[in-house]
Amino acid sequence: MTVHPKSDLPQGTLDLLILQVISLEPLHGYAIAQRLKQISREVVQVTQGTLYPALHRLQNRGYLAADWKVSDTGRDAKFYRLTRKGRVHLQSEAASWERLAGAISVILRTAKETP
Amino acid sequence: MNWWGRLTRRRTLERQLDAELRDHLERLVADYRSQGLPEAEARRRARLEFGGPDQVKEWCRDVRGTRWLDELAQDVRYGCRGLCRHPGFTAVAVVTLGLGVAATMTIFNLVEALLLRPLPVPQAGQLVTLIRWQDGHSSEHFSYPQVRLLAERTDLFTALAGVGSDIVNVGPPEGLEATGAAWVSGGYFATLDLVPAAGRLLTPADDRPGAAPAAVITHEYWMRRFGGDPAAVGAHLLIEGVNVPIAGITPPGFTGATVGEHAAITLAIGTRPRLQPENDSFLDASSRWLRILGRPHRDVAPGQLQAAVDSAWPGILRATLPDRLNAETRAARSRMTVTVQPGAQGTSRIRARFRTPLAVAMALVALVLVIACVNVANLLLARAATRSREIALRLAIGAGRGRILRQLLTESALLAVLGTLIGLALGVAGSHGLVALIAGAASGPDASVVSLAVALNWRVSAAAMMVMGAATLLFGLAPSWQASLTGPRAVASGANPVAESHGRLAAGLIVAQVALSLALVTGAGLFVRSLHTLRTLDRGFRTDNVLLVSFGPTRARMPPGALRAFNRSVLRAVEDLPGIRAASLAAVTPLQGGGMSTPIFVNGVSTGREEVYFNVVAPRFFEIMQTALLAGRDFTAADDATSPRVAVVNEAFVRLYLRQGSALGQRVSFTGPPDAMRIVGVVRDAVYETLRAAPPPTLYVSYLQQRDRRMTLIIEVPDSMGAAAAAVRTEVQPRVPAQPLRVRTLAAQVDGSLIRERLMALLASVFGTLALMLAAVGLYGLVSYSVTNRTREIGVRLALGARRARIERWVCQEALRLVALGIAIGVPAAWLVSRLVRTLIFGVTPADPATLAGAVGVLIIVTLLAALGPARRAARIDPVLALRRE
Repeated sequence: MTVHPKSDLPQGTLDLLILQVISLEPLHGYAIAQRLKQISREVVQVTQGTLYPALHRLQNRGYLAADWKVSDTGRDAKFYRLTRKGRVHLQSEAASWERLAGAISVILRTAKETP
Repeated sequence: MNWWGRLTRRRTLERQLDAELRDHLERLVADYRSQGLPEAEARRRARLEFGGPDQVKEWCRDVRGTRWLDELAQDVRYGCRGLCRHPGFTAVAVVTLGLGVAATMTIFNLVEALLLRPLPVPQAGQLVTLIRWQDGHSSEHFSYPQVRLLAERTDLFTALAGVGSDIVNVGPPEGLEATGAAWVSGGYFATLDLVPAAGRLLTPADDRPGAAPAAVITHEYWMRRFGGDPAAVGAHLLIEGVNVPIAGITPPGFTGATVGEHAAITLAIGTRPRLQPENDSFLDASSRWLRILGRPHRDVAPGQLQAAVDSAWPGILRATLPDRLNAETRAARSRMTVTVQPGAQGTSRIRARFRTPLAVAMALVALVLVIACVNVANLLLARAATRSREIALRLAIGAGRGRILRQLLTESALLAVLGTLIGLALGVAGSHGLVALIAGAASGPDASVVSLAVALNWRVSAAAMMVMGAATLLFGLAPSWQASLTGPRAVASGANPVAESHGRLAAGLIVAQVALSLALVTGAGLFVRSLHTLRTLDRGFRTDNVLLVSFGPTRARMPPGALRAFNRSVLRAVEDLPGIRAASLAAVTPLQGGGMSTPIFVNGVSTGREEVYFNVVAPRFFEIMQTALLAGRDFTAADDATSPRVAVVNEAFVRLYLRQGSALGQRVSFTGPPDAMRIVGVVRDAVYETLRAAPPPTLYVSYLQQRDRRMTLIIEVPDSMGAAAAAVRTEVQPRVPAQPLRVRTLAAQVDGSLIRERLMALLASVFGTLALMLAAVGLYGLVSYSVTNRTREIGVRLALGARRARIERWVCQEALRLVALGIAIGVPAAWLVSRLVRTLIFGVTPADPATLAGAVGVLIIVTLLAALGPARRAARIDPVLALRRE
């Protein structure tokens, strides 16, 4: 049995974030991590031990495809892009996340006002 | 990439994963560098942040979902390495198992081909066959009129047909080829629902009286004889001297509905009189020779079908009883009933004969396989004992117990796979050998065309897989389990619990092996003894120096009555040939597979339903066969159509029908008092149709006083059979240009009639020997192992003054104690086996004490020999060396 590294993000959220970041343009792993860090203003920090298994899982499920391209460093880098299936998945996941997040914030707000 | 791709392109994936992670790391380094850190520091920080790349890689591999397979591949690789490191162990285990599986598959291939495989026709499962029953006896044979009436019941069957197998002569007189053929009624191909590969198949129109003959040939025959030439359809085949057009070709793979015989040519029964004028009686109600296949309507339930057949049958039976039957036979025949049976596997002439032998052989062979597995289990146990240190080490460095168990089971499975593959290959060869043996001997009155296609199909593969799985579990589980019980502490303390418990378990396995071997050897003993009894039985005739020559003058289209004269001329010509002492003729030769019987009148009184065997012979028949004449005289050339009719009977006949007064001078007849024959001679009893029953009451009549019949030449040859056969061929064949002679020795015919017994004796002996060998090897291994383990103890005993002979005896006694226990358990097992084979043995009781005692003796001798080697070695141990070793 292998012990997986713990991520601070709720279950399934990392997948959603990765899909969202990649939906804008094909990226390689390092760039995805950087982008998540920048956009979230350093709140979301993913380690390689979480990021790469997640990327590979999404690829195996057919949400992501990968191409090897020569990058700015001159080396070949693996660029992930969203597949059509991944795009559909992203939309439905994003919608359900927003619904859930909205519900949670409503509950939090109500709970604050009651006492 | 899909799952399969992830599995098969492992190396590429690994390379890419490596590149991807290295790229990430390099980018981190570059980032730190751009923050102004020196190269070394940047690299250090990046490493720190990145963590262990191998850990990340492992997690990524987990995601692939192929981990269990990777591990399996690891286990297999490790297992292979282990097996290669111990080639001796591996070879013994694989060969042992291979022999066991080969024996099993040899029998199973035949069972599959003969009993299990459905006909290669659409929806074979729908087919049914009919069996007739009368007074507790069953038969598959129906008359042509009965088949026709049944086929008319289109309310029950979409189609129904009769099929009978035959050998026909194909080609010009100078190049006749005996070819397997099927005579079928019109609905045959409709019943089978076959689509022709070319041309058309036979229909009821081809089966009408007076229809022009047409032949359908099999795809295989088309390839063999015509090289697959499309022009074959419409071409003519010279069959029995008649030009018959080929109407069509059956689809590939179909070789006729009679399993075990390849019917290359299919012909309509209605055209049989045109091709074989002498066989026109086959269309009568009196000839019951057709097996039935029917395809019931899909909406008729099986129970319904049986009920409908039950109600229809009495009418069909009444309409098809032969005219020439006495009242009693008629009454008996009217009690006949018919049952519907599944017919997916088609019909067969040899199936009934070999069903029980094959079932018994299958049971025996399963025992051999179990013994083989037990042997391998013992080997694995011994190996596990020596490996306990390695296993404990692996446990100590963190391997899971389940993982170790899996590893060991994988090794067992590897052995099983290797053994099964070897066994499958050997099994196919073995089956071919058995088929050839059966084909060589299972001949009826005509040459045999027994052919069974042994094929690797899903049923055979499934059986092999089952065998393999069972074997893995049988010999893999116990040793693996035992090995995985080892704790790391055990090794540290130097104790070896596996080695200790190995001794007990292995001894138990040896006992089981001895018990099973005893059962098999006893079975073999019973079969060999029955065969010997049957071979040495007093048959009432000699078998050496007699040549049988069947010739068919019927194609010469002789006028009625000419055949007798022809037979006489052939006999005269043969008698004068050099190298021949005497010659005679007989309509039926002993043990040819079949005969003639009929109710008769003795002194004007009918024997009623009792049919009496009879034979039509020429003078000197008894002299050549060495069947002693006890009273009166033999037939002479003067006993012809113009002189008073005479007969010869045997002792059994006298005992049953002529108890009063002298048999000589009393009268017998076939049809009633007017054509009575006077008994002029009494001969000794001689076996007629079967060796398994006492010679029946038999009536012999003179061929010159009977209607025309096909006869077989019976020739006494004092020395060279080959030269005599050649001389007869040259003399007789030109007289019967349309049909090839069939020449064989009487000895071969008698042996052929014992095919079942020979087969069982052969198989049981092979299996018994195999079992004995395996048990001996197992015992040898165990004793050797225990001697090695006790080297020190033996050394001490020797040092204290024990004599070497005593040590030797002591080791042998240890082995014999196991053997004795095995025999104690094996005797009931042997008794069970003999119960199983009791229908197949003859002249020995199933619980024959002599056979059992013999088997026990053989077992003790063999096992003692196996123990003797290690015992000698034990006695030669040098006490000084033995004691210094530790």
